[in-house]
Amino acid sequence: MLGEILNPYYLQVAAFIMINIILAISIYITLSSGQLSLGSAGFMGIGAYTSALLTIHFELPIIVGILAGAVVAGIIGILIGIPALRLQGVYLAIATLGFGEVVRIIFVNWESVTRGSIGLSGIPHMGRELLRFFKDIGFDPDMIGLKNNQFIYLLVLLILVLINIILIWFFTRQNKSRIGRAFAAIKMDEKAAEAMGLNITYYKVLSFAQGAVLAGFAGALYAHVLAYISPADFAYHRAIEILIFSVFGGSEVILGAVFGATFLTLLPEALRFISEYRYMIYGAILVLMMAFRPQGIIDASVLNWFKKNLKSKRGTNHGTRINKNN
Amino acid sequence: MRRVIKKSYLVITALMLVLLAACGEGSGSGSADSKGSSDGPVSAKIGVISYLTGPGAAYGEAITNGFNLALEEVNEKGDVNIELVVEDSAGKQEQALTVSQKLMSDDEIVAILGPTLSTEMNVVAPEADINGISILGTSTTAAGIPQIGDYVFRNSIPESLAIPAALEKAVAAYDVKKVAILYGNDDLFTQSGFDTMKKVAEDMNLEIVTIETFQKGQSDYNAQLTKIKDLQPDLILASALYNEGAVIMGQARKMGIDTPFLGGNGFNSPKVIEIAGEAADGLIVATPWFAEKENSKVQAFVEKYKAKYGMAPDQFAAQAYDALYIYAEALKNAGEADRDAFRDSLAEIKGLEGILGEFSFDKDGDVIMDPTVLIIKDGKFQIFE
Amino acid sequence: MLIEQLINGITLGSIYAIVALGFTLVFGVLGIINMAHGEIFMIGAFIGVVTTSVLGLPLWIAFIAAIGVTAALGYLLERIALRPLRGKQGVSHLAPLISTIGVSIILENLSHHLFGAGNQPFRNAFADIQFQIGSITVYLVQILIFVISIALMLTLSFWLSKTKAGKALRATAENLETASLLGVNTKRTITTTVIIASAMGGIAGILVGMAFNSVNPQMGLSMGLKGLAIIILGGMGNVKGAMAGGLLLGVAETGIVAYGDSGYRDAVAFITIIFILLLRPQGLFGKKTAEAGR
Repeated sequence: MLGEILNPYYLQVAAFIMINIILAISIYITLSSGQLSLGSAGFMGIGAYTSALLTIHFELPIIVGILAGAVVAGIIGILIGIPALRLQGVYLAIATLGFGEVVRIIFVNWESVTRGSIGLSGIPHMGRELLRFFKDIGFDPDMIGLKNNQFIYLLVLLILVLINIILIWFFTRQNKSRIGRAFAAIKMDEKAAEAMGLNITYYKVLSFAQGAVLAGFAGALYAHVLAYISPADFAYHRAIEILIFSVFGGSEVILGAVFGATFLTLLPEALRFISEYRYMIYGAILVLMMAFRPQGIIDASVLNWFKKNLKSKRGTNHGTRINKNN
Repeated sequence: MRRVIKKSYLVITALMLVLLAACGEGSGSGSADSKGSSDGPVSAKIGVISYLTGPGAAYGEAITNGFNLALEEVNEKGDVNIELVVEDSAGKQEQALTVSQKLMSDDEIVAILGPTLSTEMNVVAPEADINGISILGTSTTAAGIPQIGDYVFRNSIPESLAIPAALEKAVAAYDVKKVAILYGNDDLFTQSGFDTMKKVAEDMNLEIVTIETFQKGQSDYNAQLTKIKDLQPDLILASALYNEGAVIMGQARKMGIDTPFLGGNGFNSPKVIEIAGEAADGLIVATPWFAEKENSKVQAFVEKYKAKYGMAPDQFAAQAYDALYIYAEALKNAGEADRDAFRDSLAEIKGLEGILGEFSFDKDGDVIMDPTVLIIKDGKFQIFE
Repeated sequence: MLIEQLINGITLGSIYAIVALGFTLVFGVLGIINMAHGEIFMIGAFIGVVTTSVLGLPLWIAFIAAIGVTAALGYLLERIALRPLRGKQGVSHLAPLISTIGVSIILENLSHHLFGAGNQPFRNAFADIQFQIGSITVYLVQILIFVISIALMLTLSFWLSKTKAGKALRATAENLETASLLGVNTKRTITTTVIIASAMGGIAGILVGMAFNSVNPQMGLSMGLKGLAIIILGGMGNVKGAMAGGLLLGVAETGIVAYGDSGYRDAVAFITIIFILLLRPQGLFGKKTAEAGR
């Protein structure tokens, strides 16, 4: 029965949604302290290449590779973040844009390591490795009526969902903490925040580095879900796409990023004819959102409205109402 | 705040439910009655992944046109009855992977044709291999693709076959000693072509005077060409897609470089003449496809294609056309719509006569074929002697 | 070869400079980085192709058509993507940047749909006129591009410093509210600026088409990013800086191809962005101000 329900196509789409959510959160975190980074594709690439190279050449377990990818992206994030703090607003955006492109050009040219535009193939696939592990310990997906690829993508999806839940939980907590309030204060008015005695350097680097870590982390996951990466995956357009997730969904609350990534990943899948006009729609979204709803679809007031409604109608069917808003 | 978290779970869970519910409908209908009975024609569904929307949509269109034309003829013949299920990958790895999952999870689909780009193939092929479904690329020419697995094939001639053929003839004709290489280094296709060019040139003991690169969206190649002009090579090896390639030739001729150019698969298109005009003269390419070949099959194909789609078929359409014939032959020989039986009979294909010539697979599932070497002369592709 | 490469570099640099002039004009007045400028440039180039190669009209009509269309695009850009954001409460200073990125994506994909992904040849007899000086061939187009870029820079400097409209523009750049109190029609000034900047992009587009005989939808992005690097190099809002920065980048890129590794050609611009921003945010030719880095 389970076997008939689980279509790998949907599992696959859902897995990409999960990865995109992490990317959207990475932009959200940097934006939450008032910084705009267009370098997320670069950090994503650093994470992806780090993890892929470590697992291919040194046969490290995937989880070590992914964590290393996130850490390396974070370290580079700090290195870029500290000097870049002298820059504000648009200048930071442009410096990070330049950074992202330099990273891509390095991937293209450093052929001895990255194999240039040929890309890295044969990256250990998260699901396939797990399948092997399960088969080694004597468990076969047939035993619960699943085909190999159903089992693989189910596992991948479960892991990604788990990661997402942890991340959303963590960052929601952080938002309510001293750190989150400091980010918000800096976003509101940097000079005032400084005058209040906040160490703005620390908090700005922190938020920038958190964004870098998340982007690197998502990149590493991407590498192990696709099993093939090439420099073209981490170009300028990717950075813009990630930005759109957050701008569209809402850049003030974390659920905005979640919603934006989910909706915009599903949209071209659900409506195939849209696929062709996907980028034009993305462009229009950016222009319209800035003009009419710069905070994005979901903001604090939308959440409050939900909260009220959920409370008053508790016990009714949640699923349909939430669907309506997706 | 708790509620916020809870809600995020809810959103995710609800989404999952929608997805699961939707897919329940889709896969429920799969049943065994589609398998051909022993006496009638073997009927089967074949999945097609093609690049149908986005900047490279023209490739995907030519390819699907080629499939459809062959499909009519094959089904008319009556040995097999094939139905194509076409999905769009938009030239993106993620999308190619998701639609391939869609196709692979449909039990009625026996084998897959496509995807269009080598980058997509690199992602899709391992997945097809692990799921035990044959996949055949009609336009994926990068090195190493059929080697991905037992279920992975192609009928497009790789650069490792095309470039040596062209280079040998060019070296003999022009007494080439020194070559310059120019290639696009931010594209899988051209990079892979370059790797082959460099290796072949080294194997033939040619002196490589310089290696220059260019990038997508660049319109000024003067700096590279001035450098090349100064080094006076006997031949310029250019691994470029026809779009950039034609512009490069135009700027080179304008600068006074009249050295012949030698291109890979991506450079081989009538569009080169359209874009570069007279400057295209002197381009040498090796190709399995030559529309002017004096062969009744080829001419019949060109005519039918023109009548149906209102344009001349290119290499991509021709390769797709032959690919469907290869699949039909394999299906006929397999005798049943079974994925494994299909693979085994596909691997056995030998000496199949198509519009590209005589076709066989080697042990990896790669192509064995003799390409034709062409040169552009007086604004036309002609056989290079 | 050195002189030939220098000519290549100056030609490329002059085109960069014209693109950068448009960037710097908008930044100087509005404090906005117009990310759509590269795409407007690309549309200008396509208009040139359509009028000369497809419709077979003479070159001067192509110039007028390209200037007209890009000016109209500039007007639309200001009306749709910039004006709604101006003076609105709670709009962050990042909003115009994001909004113009949106416009750039729309234009890039629009031209994909209209003209296809490929290169369009730009055939024109004028582009073939050449002089032989010793062993070096110089094309009239190359000289023309250089002259136009210098002329545009001088006109712009003169216009900004000497004419009434230019002064109004600088006043607006200084302080929007004060200028409007002093009787400057700021709305019109801003619109004019964006239109002029866009038209300059259109001119650059045609010149590229003539010089390199190649026009494609991706060239906008690459040119836009280069233009961005140049105004950072030359100093934001600095007209002479844009000119010098453009020439410098053009010669540097050609130099790295001629004497280094052509694979890193594009990296020059981006590394420049990073280093200039980190070390000398006011640019090579900019005056140091408290706001420059902030």
